[in-house]
Amino acid sequence: MSAVEWIRLIIGCLFILVGMVIFFTELFGVFHFNYVLNRMHAAAMGDTLGISACLIGLMIFSGLNFTTLKMFLIIVFLWFASPVSSHVLSRLEAATNDNLSSHCEIYEDVETLERELAAARKDSDTEKKEASVS
Amino acid sequence: MSKKKNAEAYQKTFAFRFFRWLSGEKDPYTGTLEMHPQKEYQPDREAALRHEKEHDAIMDKVYDTEHNRWLHLFHRLYQTTSVLFCLFLIALLLVTVSYLPANGTVTRPVNNEVSARYIEKGLEETGAVNIVAGMILDYRAFDTLGESHVLFVATITVLILLRLNKTEKDEAEVSDRRFEPKNDAILQVVATFLVPVIIIFGIYIILNGHLGPGGGFSGGAVIGAGLVLYLNAFGFQKTERFFTEKTYKWVCFFSLSFYCLAKSYSFYTGANHLHSVIPKGTPGAILSSGLILPLNIAVGLVVACTIYAFYAMFRKGGF
Repeated sequence: MSAVEWIRLIIGCLFILVGMVIFFTELFGVFHFNYVLNRMHAAAMGDTLGISACLIGLMIFSGLNFTTLKMFLIIVFLWFASPVSSHVLSRLEAATNDNLSSHCEIYEDVETLERELAAARKDSDTEKKEASVS
Repeated sequence: MSKKKNAEAYQKTFAFRFFRWLSGEKDPYTGTLEMHPQKEYQPDREAALRHEKEHDAIMDKVYDTEHNRWLHLFHRLYQTTSVLFCLFLIALLLVTVSYLPANGTVTRPVNNEVSARYIEKGLEETGAVNIVAGMILDYRAFDTLGESHVLFVATITVLILLRLNKTEKDEAEVSDRRFEPKNDAILQVVATFLVPVIIIFGIYIILNGHLGPGGGFSGGAVIGAGLVLYLNAFGFQKTERFFTEKTYKWVCFFSLSFYCLAKSYSFYTGANHLHSVIPKGTPGAILSSGLILPLNIAVGLVVACTIYAFYAMFRKGGF
């Protein structure tokens, strides 16, 4: 095998290994967390980042051909489908769970949340300025 | 030299917990995960009695057997005839089984030449590069016709079970508007460009069924999934513009009757050794392999409509 092929093999294996590690993290998270939204957050990670890392590794193995294009299209499809389905599911959970406030903070309207976020940003900005001055 | 632990210290080790989990004594996730286990079923005596009484009352009212002697006789006759028919069927099947070739003989069905013929002459006789498509839509097309009808009958059965009257329909409309996630901006934006891609991919699978992996059933399922996504994103007002109960009925009717007529023609010519006018075409071209492509389209339409109809009926009780 030439040097280029060796490099290709190593890079492809690295991508697949990264994908496997992400899948393992996903699996651990799904069984580690207790609340459904936390678990969904862990599960959505594998469907997007894990599968795309694995498929990029396979694309590097396969080289430039039609199969690579198909795998790329699978990645594009999953990056659209998986986050959107998680979003719809979590919206349903937020709409139907009665004691949602015991799991996470709830804001009655968006303005309160925006005000708090702006205040937090201002605080961090002033801290940064103070740090740069001193 | 191993260190001895007492029972209390051993119960804190990983090995103890692991073997406890392995033997199934205690699942570490029960009680910690947010799950709602099903309640144990407890039969309600009063409700059962009430239902029994209602059933008896209906039977008395509809089949007034005490005053209608002919109906009474017919019931008796019906019961005896059904028992006799079942016994006859059992005996017939047992006799047939006793005529099957014994294990290890040359005439066993395993050793026959059918599968070899499919592989050797399939391309020549059906014109389909995909042997599986040639098998299910040419040699065994009757079986596939039955499968399509099973889907159609299943939809009709669900339609009967979930049938709603006028007031219930209005209630379902209101509750659908209130509870289903609608006007979700993210879902709508994604659906606008994902749905056409999904449907085109489904059409590709159907049209490519005789050339490669695919066919009517899988392609129809993909198209049905695209329609369900569209319905989820935009609601019934948008889908009603192109897909109503009437559309479903006519599409299923035309596909199934086309399938019946086309296959009847090819069975008729095949059984009477007549020359079929349908050209086989060159193997590998998109317009080839005779009837398999139109039959794939018919099956795909039935499957897509059935999947969409099931979703619509379980969601709202109708289209």
